[in-house]
Amino acid sequence: MLASVIARRAAFALLTIWLASLLVFVALQALPGNLATQLLGRDATPEAVAQLEQQLHLDRPAWQRYLDWLGGAVTGDFGTSLVSQQPILSAAGLALRNTGLLALVVVVVGVTLSLVLGVVAGLTRDRWPDLGISGVSLIGMSVPEFTVSTVLVLVFAIRLQWFPAVVTDGSDATVGTLLEAIWLPAASLVVVMAAYIVRMMRTSMIDVMASDYVSMARIRGLTSVRVVLRHALPNALLPTLNVIAINVAWLVGGVVVVESIFNYPGIGTLMLQSVRNRDVPMLQFIAVLGALTFVVCNLLADLAAISLNPRLRTPGRAG
Amino acid sequence: MNHTAEARLPAQAPEFQRSALGGPLLSRRSALAAGISTLGASWLLSACGTGGAASGQQSNPVAVPGEVRQGGTLRMARPPASDAESLDPASSLSAYEYLGALYSRLVKQAEDGTVLPDLATSWTGSADSMTWTFKLREGVTFHDGKSFTSADAAYTVRHILDPATKSPQAGVLAPFLKASGITTPDKQTVVMKLASPNAEFVSLLMSYNCYVIPDGSASTIAKTGIGTGPFSLVSFTPAGKGSVKANPSYFGGRPKLDTIELTAIADVQARVNALLAGQVDLVAQTNLDLAASKTVAASSTATTATVKNAQWYVLPMLTTAAPFDDAEVRAAFKVAYEPQAVLDLAINGRGTVANNNPVTPKDANYLDYKLTPDPEKARAVLQKAGILAAGQELFTSSYDPVLTPMSLAYQSSAKAAGLDIKIKTASADSYYTDVWIKKPFCASYWYTGRPIDQLLNQVFRAGSSYNETGWSNPQFASILDAARKTADAAKRRQHYQDAQKLLVDDSGSIVPFFADRTIGLSKEVRNYAEFGFEFDYLNIGLKA
Repeated sequence: MLASVIARRAAFALLTIWLASLLVFVALQALPGNLATQLLGRDATPEAVAQLEQQLHLDRPAWQRYLDWLGGAVTGDFGTSLVSQQPILSAAGLALRNTGLLALVVVVVGVTLSLVLGVVAGLTRDRWPDLGISGVSLIGMSVPEFTVSTVLVLVFAIRLQWFPAVVTDGSDATVGTLLEAIWLPAASLVVVMAAYIVRMMRTSMIDVMASDYVSMARIRGLTSVRVVLRHALPNALLPTLNVIAINVAWLVGGVVVVESIFNYPGIGTLMLQSVRNRDVPMLQFIAVLGALTFVVCNLLADLAAISLNPRLRTPGRAG
Repeated sequence: MNHTAEARLPAQAPEFQRSALGGPLLSRRSALAAGISTLGASWLLSACGTGGAASGQQSNPVAVPGEVRQGGTLRMARPPASDAESLDPASSLSAYEYLGALYSRLVKQAEDGTVLPDLATSWTGSADSMTWTFKLREGVTFHDGKSFTSADAAYTVRHILDPATKSPQAGVLAPFLKASGITTPDKQTVVMKLASPNAEFVSLLMSYNCYVIPDGSASTIAKTGIGTGPFSLVSFTPAGKGSVKANPSYFGGRPKLDTIELTAIADVQARVNALLAGQVDLVAQTNLDLAASKTVAASSTATTATVKNAQWYVLPMLTTAAPFDDAEVRAAFKVAYEPQAVLDLAINGRGTVANNNPVTPKDANYLDYKLTPDPEKARAVLQKAGILAAGQELFTSSYDPVLTPMSLAYQSSAKAAGLDIKIKTASADSYYTDVWIKKPFCASYWYTGRPIDQLLNQVFRAGSSYNETGWSNPQFASILDAARKTADAAKRRQHYQDAQKLLVDDSGSIVPFFADRTIGLSKEVRNYAEFGFEFDYLNIGLKA
């Protein structure tokens, strides 16, 4: 039962990624103008255009090029960057590492913080801790990340000068250098992401605390801490997991904006450069990577939900 | 959810597009294009308080050289040309800010556009302006210790001409010069024999693509950056961080600074933030818009400086398409508006009126000639041509922050002649491929700093791929050819002035104004001086 649920989810995930890759491919074909002339500029000689078209296999039908790309992609070969002339994975390697570091900080700090705040708000419903947390998270939810970033830069980088406003190193920056500069970009993403998780966690905590089994646990004389941690929290987490997943996946889009503002040398900055340089193979890789992140996050949320939900977890007693 | 990524994607055309007029020119165009996000700038502005009126002029360190300290490190933020940036000066993807620090050219440009000696101490043209002989500076060494000789100078020009280099300057030089035409009679002499006469040939070597590299260095120069300039390379990462250190044996003397650190920051607002946060001292090649320049000027640590007339703005009328194939209509569009009003409205007067002449008033060959605005005369012509009734579409885009304000200002000013301009905003991404030279009427701009021979031949002469109006005037072409054959500078000047008059009268180019560039820099910086494609790396320094 459990295995079949997981298998079905995984199959759907693969299907989604495949469809996303197809959509991205079609969208990139629809870019205005012939790619070769775009790349070479107005002065391109016809011979140079023909040569580049051949190099990019633009002389072959689109479906054939897609199949070639797909064949390469499943074996980990995403083609060659038009800008650096390196294989995509090695050209994007450092940027991936840097964004990975940023994501790690954001997820660890952001998810932990927002779950704690959500629980506190839920437990202190309509009293001042709740009002404070809910108010701030509503603001965080309503303000776009570039505004959050700008305000954070203004206060913490320009006025107080506690943190740098931008990363001055390129993608070969050391982890140490990045860790010095990572806090403002991470905070921008956390503020916007945390709001949704806090709100969801608060609501579901309130629901769970009002449920019969929590009342029962209390009647049986369990301590408040034990009631919250052992009985309420796992159940309250269930509906929140999907919100976490969506928000972590949303980071894929958020990093583009935030990395650009902070000159953070990650995958978002790389994507903007690739758009500017019309580095199509790189764009395709990043877009598929984004889809992959989205799908994997949701899949993990589903699996976590299964593992936390006794009805889904226990074979034979489902339904 | 706040999925606002699209809102901040800088809408920029590919770097490559118009690169024959100068590679980094393009990327700097994109950089300047982005402007400062209004929201961000107004946030900063309200938080920093108002810093009074545009204080660029008052606090301009160009005007106040001040006492300069010997030594120190200047941190410079710059827009990256591409992730595949190179230190090869000839490349269309050269990292522009490094070039002037690392290299020297045979000749450099004076502020009035005339040619000054650099690695060449003197040059002479034959009577027919076909053969140019350069005497080279003695005792100059490259950063790796090798002596600079005529072989390096010859190699540099051959490297530019080599089709494999794909240098933007090749298209400018190749019509006159073949690689075989360059000879080196001795170590201090290089001779260039042209295929057709050009009395202004030497001015074409002032381009920043013409920085001199060591003989045989084509395959390595992109990374080594070995030149004869005031600074030598310490490190360089494409689209990343790098630094250069003072070259004590520079032939022009020792630079004031010890070190310059260069950081690539693609986003304009991020560059300004870095300045305000004290992470960098100078934001290169970044035109601050009004809000941002006020923010910078109001800051306690940073200020602004102005590069006069850094760009010229133009509304090209395609002379090969109706209604602009009619010279009378073109002239009517030029007298239908008031240039001063357009300058004031579009960029708050931060520039100079151009009166439809793209030659800067500082240029030695400048002709002070203009058509007097006459809306009534324009109205009569446009009435007859049926344009008053139909109106005229004008294309613009967010490619550069001034294009749309200029278009709106022209629209507003030309109402006096009854002209109904319909503004169409096109996608910035494909603006220079789908609109420019395709639509009859659009908005565009260029960097100033091109020598006059190159400017007039490249942008206005029939046959050039940059002739954005398709203007084809045989008289104009023959004046330019006559100028190239005229060795006497005063007589040549007369030809160029005749060409300017013809251009103002008949061409398809409405040129309302030159726009100043406002850049941001730390209050510690002294002796910042920049014009055209010249930047003074030798004297820039920090406060004592």
